[in-house]
Amino acid sequence: MNGFAQGLLSALLRDTHLIAPQLFLMVVATLMLWPGDLFFNRNEKHKWAPITLVILAITAFLVSRTADGEGFSRMFRNDGLTRGFQMLCVAASAGTVLLSTRLLDSLKQQTVEYYALILFSLAGMLFLCGASDLISVYFSIELMAICIYILVAYLRDRATSVEAGMKYFLLGAFSSGILVYGISLLYGAAGGTTTNLADLNQALALTPANSNLLVYAGVLMVLVGMAFKVAAVPFHMWSPDAYEGAPTPITAFMATAPKAAALAAFLRVFGAGFHGVSSDWVLPLTYIAGASMILGNVAAVRQESMKRLLAYSSIAHVGYMLLGVLSGDPMAGAQAVWLYMLIYIVMNTGAFAVVIYLQGKGEGERIEDFKGLGRKHPVLAFAMMIFLLSLAGIPPLVGFFGKFYLFKLAIEQGYVTLTVIALLTSAVSAYYYLGVVNQMYFKAPEGEAAPHGRRPGLHRHPCLHPGAGRHGLRALAAGLGGENLLGLVLSGGSVLRTHPQTPAQKPGRPGFALLRAGSPP
Amino acid sequence: MFTANTTLMLVATFLPVLGALVLLLVPKDQRRIFEIGSLLVMIASLLLSLPFWFGYDRASDAVQWFQAWTWIPALGVKFSVGMDGISLLLWLLTTFIGPIAIACSFKSIEERHKEYYIWMLVLQTAMLGVFITQDMFLFYLFWEVMLVPMYFLIGIWGGPQKLYAAIKLFLYTLAGSVLMLVAILAIYFLQHKATGSYNFSLESFQQMAPIIAQQSKTYQHLMALAFFIGFAIKVPMFPFHTWLPDAHVQAPTAGSVILAAILLKMGTYGFVRFLLPILPGATKDLMPWFIGLSLIGIIYGALVAMIQKDMKKLVAYSSVSHLGLCMLGLFALNPYGIKGGLFQMINHGISTSGLFLAVGIVYERRHTRMIADFGGLSKSMPIYATIFMIMTMSSIGLPLLNGFIGEGMILMGAFQSFPIYAVVATLGIILGAAYMLWMFQRVMFGPITAVNEKMEDLNLREILYFAPLVAAAFWIGLYPKPLMDVMDAPVRKLVEQVNPGFHAAEALAAKQAAAARLGMRGMAAPAAHHEPAPAGHGAAPAGHQAPAAPHAAPAHGGGH
Repeated sequence: MNGFAQGLLSALLRDTHLIAPQLFLMVVATLMLWPGDLFFNRNEKHKWAPITLVILAITAFLVSRTADGEGFSRMFRNDGLTRGFQMLCVAASAGTVLLSTRLLDSLKQQTVEYYALILFSLAGMLFLCGASDLISVYFSIELMAICIYILVAYLRDRATSVEAGMKYFLLGAFSSGILVYGISLLYGAAGGTTTNLADLNQALALTPANSNLLVYAGVLMVLVGMAFKVAAVPFHMWSPDAYEGAPTPITAFMATAPKAAALAAFLRVFGAGFHGVSSDWVLPLTYIAGASMILGNVAAVRQESMKRLLAYSSIAHVGYMLLGVLSGDPMAGAQAVWLYMLIYIVMNTGAFAVVIYLQGKGEGERIEDFKGLGRKHPVLAFAMMIFLLSLAGIPPLVGFFGKFYLFKLAIEQGYVTLTVIALLTSAVSAYYYLGVVNQMYFKAPEGEAAPHGRRPGLHRHPCLHPGAGRHGLRALAAGLGGENLLGLVLSGGSVLRTHPQTPAQKPGRPGFALLRAGSPP
Repeated sequence: MFTANTTLMLVATFLPVLGALVLLLVPKDQRRIFEIGSLLVMIASLLLSLPFWFGYDRASDAVQWFQAWTWIPALGVKFSVGMDGISLLLWLLTTFIGPIAIACSFKSIEERHKEYYIWMLVLQTAMLGVFITQDMFLFYLFWEVMLVPMYFLIGIWGGPQKLYAAIKLFLYTLAGSVLMLVAILAIYFLQHKATGSYNFSLESFQQMAPIIAQQSKTYQHLMALAFFIGFAIKVPMFPFHTWLPDAHVQAPTAGSVILAAILLKMGTYGFVRFLLPILPGATKDLMPWFIGLSLIGIIYGALVAMIQKDMKKLVAYSSVSHLGLCMLGLFALNPYGIKGGLFQMINHGISTSGLFLAVGIVYERRHTRMIADFGGLSKSMPIYATIFMIMTMSSIGLPLLNGFIGEGMILMGAFQSFPIYAVVATLGIILGAAYMLWMFQRVMFGPITAVNEKMEDLNLREILYFAPLVAAAFWIGLYPKPLMDVMDAPVRKLVEQVNPGFHAAEALAAKQAAAARLGMRGMAAPAAHHEPAPAGHGAAPAGHQAPAAPHAAPAHGGGH
């Protein structure tokens, strides 16, 4: 007994470095809640924002320094995929914090809990990026999602916010139920011995023929549960309502960080865990991806609310990224998704920054509010145009390169019909993104306010306006220097490749070793 | 200093966008600076492009001034530029139209001058870029980038329905070009499978033709259709033409001019450069459909143009008809047809932009374009009426003017390949003469109203920007040989790519014809024994030269 405890302790100590960033986040966030919060009085809560940014910077540093490896009974795995997506989550969280301060200031809603919840949620995402066991996938998702449920309902005196939180919570809980049921089916089908992804992959391939249906149902249920989390059609119903009701920075958060983490899990679960039974899920996932592209883009066309438009468009973007999951070459797929996600996070955060800037004046909720922005705030409008056109994937903006790389991969893998759908729907997306550009540049501003007129100090927050402009220029520069960006991903090693793996682990599938949740050689 | 080389080509191409960057720094109420500045930039770009006309080696069919720089090595994308005769002509047409488009905007653009001239300059660089690029990826980039400025030009400075027109233009073209992108990628991967290397260069794509020909028919046809739709939307061919009248009618005059003169040419250029050489087999398989659509375009465009009440819309539909003719020439797949098609591209650029400018003139003065509002303008605006007449005549293909040469060659080519269709196409030309002359008659002659009597004739600026168009129309009409020489070698190469052995067969046919003539002469005068030698000697090179010297065409055409 004593020996067991000692063994457990030494195993814990041995593996702790793998989850250093998460541990750091959890400890610090707890300390923030108590006793940290005692040091700031009611009017000083906004100081938590810069502190959170510093914490995020330290987290990013820790993420970059964690070593490759696997631990905690092979529940968590740290490799290039983990770190690459962890970085995206940290960056998206930092963007959210930047966006939050001004809105919360103006609403007088600054509290430490807001920032602590973001950090807890981020810890869940960082776990999820590296989860290599269905159980750890499940609890990471829950840790991530429960914090977000609360954040969505954060403005608790607003009916829409509470309603959004409620809706998101109920559907989220429901989908978690499906997910965990699917996991239990797979656990049973694989002989009741393991939920580890690598083991499961082998066990599922060996299941007797009479449990095929069990495997099929299990895989489909896991697929459904995960599709709920990334808001892919037809499991997207919660997302427009939740997006619209949530405080706008949280909308930006939901549209970026959890999606990055959930896609990482998608890549790992389906690329590594269910690879052997890919015939069970490739077709449904194809339909899910295609439907997400079509419905997301078509529904976005009819929206009048800017946040709903971005919500539907994010459904479509998830559809594009699922192309990467479908790819039979998990390494290339992960790289393409990573690049797309990076670009998507930057552009989406930028677009939300503009929306929040306008919301500071009681505008920005509706697309009509963008009327004449080109004349009132040329820099802001130009940045917004760059974000939107980049999201639409118009060259030479960086968004084009993200799409190009993803679609190139999909064609290479033979998903030609799906790629044609993706391309045509991205032409549709140009329609609604340009609709906003129309409003900004082709319509006169209402009441023709003087461009140098009132500009209250509140609205010239240092983080937002110039930041948005910088983002825009960066998008342009990154597009023109596409080489660097693609080089980053392709050589890509540096971001996504793990320690040298033996490619012989599974003959005929080079690159598969990358995502394989098996033990390092 | 100004010898034609790659550097100068890049300078001439990117000068407009550099000018736009400089103008970006000028405060926005300095209207004059924007007008004169952008005009000077365009003229400078034109002057820098002239050495290429003289420096082009007409004997070679290679891509000249070629240079490639590594850009995205992992994908095999290179920044490679260069021109052959076909791209050279269109590139020069673009630099030629640039200053005219700027000069015609001085009065008609009343607001937001800074943005307008900056977008015009950006557009110019994007269009020039399309014609010099020798890399498929780069081509796609320029092709798409071009859309954004055009979208803003129509959307901000357009007519009452500008939003609708702008977004329609954008979406139609985007939808077409993403299909093209799929086809490009598919060939790219096929190439990887065949050769083991990733390469986007145009040359390597053209060399894929034999490998593509071994693929399944379905694959080939799908590729060809993807390219076809992408380019046909741009041309535009029936039934993808519906964006064109909207875009033309709503666009500001300069927008229409650029749209007609350059943007539509990108579609036809795409056919010549990509579809024909890369997928010759599939093109021939689908040829009946392509020709059918061209013919429908010719007739339908002409008929719809005839009933238009709006002058601009009439000219827009005439474009549909003229470009249908142009496509018919290209699809004839013989030297006359292709050269005629290329010629028609240049001619259409000159005469239709002239017509759009002319419509713009009366619109500036009266703010209406309805034919019914005018009449008797030849009395109040004699200079205008003269120029309008020249442009009308050039558009309907009157001998001595440019249109005649192009139409004549297209019909010659079409008769060689498919005589019946050529007859149908002739009908379109007759209809073309009818609607153009009818419009001219209704606008220029007849009783004059009091308002029209007070209309001012052209001022010096307007005459100045019409002058180059008129000069070009006469020059091409009277002495087309220089243009022919430039496109000679590349067209020869293209025909060889599409129809391998065409020239050899033609030379053989010419030789046989000459031999037959000799034989007959020999029968008539068997005594003259030493005569055949010099005659036979002369016939062979003539047969060789025949496709290269089309002005000798009638004699040659009689040969077989």
